Amino acid sequence: MRKIGIALLLGCCLLTAEAQTQKESAPQVPKVKVGDVAPDFTLVDQNGQPHSLRDYKGKKNVALAFYVWAFSPN
Amino acid sequence: MRNFQQNLAKLEAADTQVLGVSMDSPFANKAFAEQNGVAFPLLSDIGGKVVQEYGIYKEYDKFNTKIPAARRATYLIDTNGNVVDMQVDADAVDPTKTVTLCERRKVKG
Repeated sequence: MRKIGIALLLGCCLLTAEAQTQKESAPQVPKVKVGDVAPDFTLVDQNGQPHSLRDYKGKKNVALAFYVWAFSPN
Repeated sequence: MRNFQQNLAKLEAADTQVLGVSMDSPFANKAFAEQNGVAFPLLSDIGGKVVQEYGIYKEYDKFNTKIPAARRATYLIDTNGNVVDMQVDADAVDPTKTVTLCERRKVKG
């Protein structure tokens, strides 16, 4: 019985610790919205090549995919 | 980004350039691209200037520290430079909607 009590207590501690590490700051609210002109930028890719949004103007659509960090699952 | 890689041929066929953006270094992005077979540009926004300008900056509490990064978000920008669709967080993971929108734009010409 005592062992079960200790196990439960430990479990609760772990859950609390987990909840604390998962707590995240409020994210920024998107500034660029549908209908806006997409702000231009120039950034360097994985091979050191610069890319600007304006390079594609009049030529292609751009799917601009922001991701959280490299090696994140999606 | 693997989801976008899997749909890359369809997006390219619909005249769409895929650009990934994160606050990682080009070195991390190079390793990430090589490990996952990512064939489109992964852009490095170190310091998060562009991420902040788009308004999708977030500090993630991981490993007892705050790690600044972008939220997961997909913007579809047309050939005039206008935002025609946006998806944020969990919605942005699956690119199916983006693919469909691009294919429809292509048909309309």
